[in-house]
Order: sequence, then structure tokens, then C-alpha cells
Amino acid sequence: MISRGLRTLFEKEVLRFMRVAGQTLLSPLITTALYFIVFGYSIGGRLHDIQGVPYSRFLVPGLITLGVISNAFLNTASSLFMMKMQGTLIDLLVTPLSYAEVLAGFLGAAVVRALLVGALTWLVAAIFTGFAVAHPLLLLLDLLLISIAFGAMGLCVAIWADKFEQVNFVPTFVITPLTFLGGVFTSVSMLPTALRRLTLANPIFYLVDSVRFAMLGIADSRPEIGLLLLGVLCAASLALALQLLRSGYKLRG
Amino acid sequence: MEAVLTIRGLTKRYGSTVALDHVDLDVQRGEIFALLGPNGAGKTTLINIVAGLTRPTSGSARVLGHDVIDDYRFTRRAVGLVPQEINFDPFFTVSEALRFQAGYFGVRLTEDRLAEILQALDLWTKRDAGSRTLSGGMKRRLLIGKALVHAPQVLFLDEPTAGVDVEMRQSLWRYVRTLQARGTSIVLTTHYLEEAEELAERIAIVDHGKLLLTERKEDLLRRYSEKTLTISLTARLVTLPESLRTIGAQLAANGLSLSITAPPGEDLGRALAAVAAAGVAVRDVETHRARLEDIFVSLLHQGAAA
Repeated sequence: MISRGLRTLFEKEVLRFMRVAGQTLLSPLITTALYFIVFGYSIGGRLHDIQGVPYSRFLVPGLITLGVISNAFLNTASSLFMMKMQGTLIDLLVTPLSYAEVLAGFLGAAVVRALLVGALTWLVAAIFTGFAVAHPLLLLLDLLLISIAFGAMGLCVAIWADKFEQVNFVPTFVITPLTFLGGVFTSVSMLPTALRRLTLANPIFYLVDSVRFAMLGIADSRPEIGLLLLGVLCAASLALALQLLRSGYKLRG
Repeated sequence: MEAVLTIRGLTKRYGSTVALDHVDLDVQRGEIFALLGPNGAGKTTLINIVAGLTRPTSGSARVLGHDVIDDYRFTRRAVGLVPQEINFDPFFTVSEALRFQAGYFGVRLTEDRLAEILQALDLWTKRDAGSRTLSGGMKRRLLIGKALVHAPQVLFLDEPTAGVDVEMRQSLWRYVRTLQARGTSIVLTTHYLEEAEELAERIAIVDHGKLLLTERKEDLLRRYSEKTLTISLTARLVTLPESLRTIGAQLAANGLSLSITAPPGEDLGRALAAVAAAGVAVRDVETHRARLEDIFVSLLHQGAAA
């Protein structure tokens, strides 16, 4: 049963990002829509189909994955870090909420925001490229696991960080480069050998590829690799986040 | 009496700094207990350990018989904390902040209870205002409200009236007494010694992480405070009578008043009798008793010298 404490934390976290929906929902939607319009709809028309799929349509799963990853990460990272900076984290630390409840409350809101951004991105793109989804349940599972994994990572980074700069370090220097080089805009078959090797060593590539398989039914790798990797990523980031909360690292003196 | 808070051998070290050094302390049900000490004495560390914000290096703290680490879900339900530092969440209104805080504790805040807290803290008219728009004193009162939403049995007030005006401070004191009357135990740290003198039944003095003493306020005042009798005279006195000199009386330079100090534990009856026997014409009599502030300073000096 979901306790009132967990429900309260979840509701408060959802209300927090809804209060600034322009920044948390509209802004990422516009960014990904611009990617789609420029790279997919404008330039895409001049590119060949990939595995029988028009480029503009090929691009959509990668952009959705990009939005889901960034927003899940940013929701937990910015919320917890702001609580640390404002001193309102005390309000949470003195409560009887268990460590798992705290984690679940933050992650629940991160999943809602990430899936909302993903769904809105998909809606905008689908108007131009069609609404068909090859494997809807697999798509939902993929995006759910991605948002949980990156939401948990955001929480870990917020616990560790002492400055805003450190919170931004991971999305700027890790997540964005890995995502851009992770097959969001290209199929590995289009890449030169060196870059192809690099892409195949990039874990984000398998996540994007799994989402692409779920949406379009085409993939560069075996789709179960992405799902397996997601399972491992989820378990590892959840375990780390829970351990950090339990240990009180940088939270309790 | 039943102890609601039992602290034994509580120690907290930050590297080579000892913030708390083997502190033993009991707080009884329904009492107001003041924890006094200079900045950095260890008061907040002690409170934070009980509230779950700080982990002790060794020793134990138990609330209603439950360990604050092993049984934290129980003890945190029983404890309310008003932290020293003002904090507020700019995203939410006063009412939302209180409802969320209650919800974390598994409590649904009824309209009646919300109104009671807001009115007691003089925040009723601000219930729909954003926390960011409140004045400093109001933000501090909101902190008190957040600590009360789950009706804690032990309430920690860490410098609760810093930055609060005199009128509001009096009103808060009244509310603290109301809470006490309902059976809440209150542990108070304050820089305003008059606050401790006004409210507390027992007082502990902490310095450099050590507990210097724990006493009932009256005993402390009686045991440590000197009383001074100042007598205004109807006519100038040129020479102090020998009988008064022997009991330590001092004549003012203008010869119009004399003062006699009784050491701690002694009353002024002997001095008054000696004045009457000496036949000195008295116009007025004034007594002064050392306040907690004087005792506090003197004890800290003794501690530093030891």
C-alpha cells in the first residue's frame, strides 16, 4: 500500500514542476520540436530512407529518448539540490518517511515529467510522421525504465553536488554527448568505422535503439540488449541512490 | 515522572573537533527544558541528533524509550523540530507548506487544525500567500507551524524567537505554555536568557560540547545568585556604623545610600535586622537578585577556568 507520506512527497514534487510548466514541460518540448523540424522535417527530406523508414520518422524515437533522459535526470537533480540549498531538505529529513519512500516519491514525479515530455514530443512529431507504434507496451516499458534509471542518477548527483555547476556537469559533459553520439540522429550503418565502434560502445545507443525498435519495428542491434542494459542500469542507479539516502552521505551530519 | 528523552554518553566528533562530549540528559514529560550555551557549544548538534539530522559518533538518544537510529520512524513521529536557520520553499503557499509537512508524517491536516495553527502563529491572513512573500518573523513562525502539524510529543525549538518582535515573542511564549499544558515536552535553545528564565522549568548549560550542569531554574537562581539590598537614607551618613561594616555593608560616596550583599544561599533578613538595630533612618529599600544572565556568564567563566 502507498503510504500518505509517499503520496504527499509525490504530489508535492509533481506540483513543483507543474508550477513552472513553461520551464519544465514547454521548454523541452520546444527544444525537441525544433530538432525535429530542422533535422527531420527540413533536412530529412533530402536524406535516404533508413531500413525503409523516412528520416523524419527515424528521428522521432531518439528525440523522445533524449527528452525522457534529460527531464527525468533534471527533475530529481534540480528538486533535491534546491532543497539542499534552500535548507528545506530538513523538512524531509526529520520525517518518518523510509529511504525507499523518499526515493519512490522523487522518482515517481520524475517519471511523470519525463513521460509527459516524451508523450508531448511524440504527439507533435506524430502530426507530421504518423501515429503508428510498432510495440506500444515495449515502448512504455522502455521509457519507464529509462526515466527511473536517469531519475535515480539525478538524485545521486544532487546528493553529491555542492554547487549548481556540479549538478549541470553530468548532463552537459556526460548525458548530452553520449545521447547525441548514441544514434539519436543516425543509424550506425551511416557512420564511418571509427565512429561506429564508438557508438557501439556507448550504452545510450542501445537505449535509443530499443525505443526505436518499440516505435518503428527497426533496430541496429538486438532489441533485447537494450532492455537488458536498461534493467542493469535501473538496478544499479536505484541501489546507489538508496544506499546514499541510507548512509546519509552529504545529507545528514 | 516519565522521561520522554533520555540521552546517554552522547558524543559527536567532526574530525578532531568534539561537538558533543559524553552528554547525559533526561527531559521529563510535559516540562519546558532550556538548553543554554554560547555559539558552537553543541546545543544544535544535540537537537539535530535527536531529530535525525545528525548521526552521533557514540552514545545513545532515546525518545519515549525508542532509539533515534534503530527506531527512527517511531521517534521522528514523536519529535517536532523548529530549526535555527530560516528556510522556505518559494513554490508553495503557507497552507500548502503545512499540508505537505503534515502529509510526510502520515497526517491529514484538517481545516480546523490548520486554522488553529495559523491563528496561534498569527499567520491566518497569510494562509494563501507564497512563502517567499513572508517577512522574516513570519517565515520563522511558519517553521514553528511545520514542526507542530503532526502534534509531536517532544518539541525542539532551536532559537525560536530570533528576529521575532517583542509582541510576537510574548504571543509565542503563551502558545508554548499552551502546548505544555496539553502535555507536550519542550526543549528550547535560546540566546535570550530572559526567554529561558521566563519559560523553562529546568535549565542545562552546555559549553564546548560538555554539559556543565542541569538544574531546576529556581534552584539554579537560588544557589548561584547573590542578593543585594540597597537602602536609601533620609539623611546623609558620614560614617558607617561598625555593626554594618562587619556584615559587609558599603556606603555610597554621597552618603545617601548603602548596599549590603548576601552571598548565594543566604537571605537578607540578617542585613535588614542589622540596619534596624543600627538606628539608621531609612527612606526606601530595593533588592536586586542576579538574573540568569549573570549566572550564565559566571558559570561559563568558571568552566573556562577549570
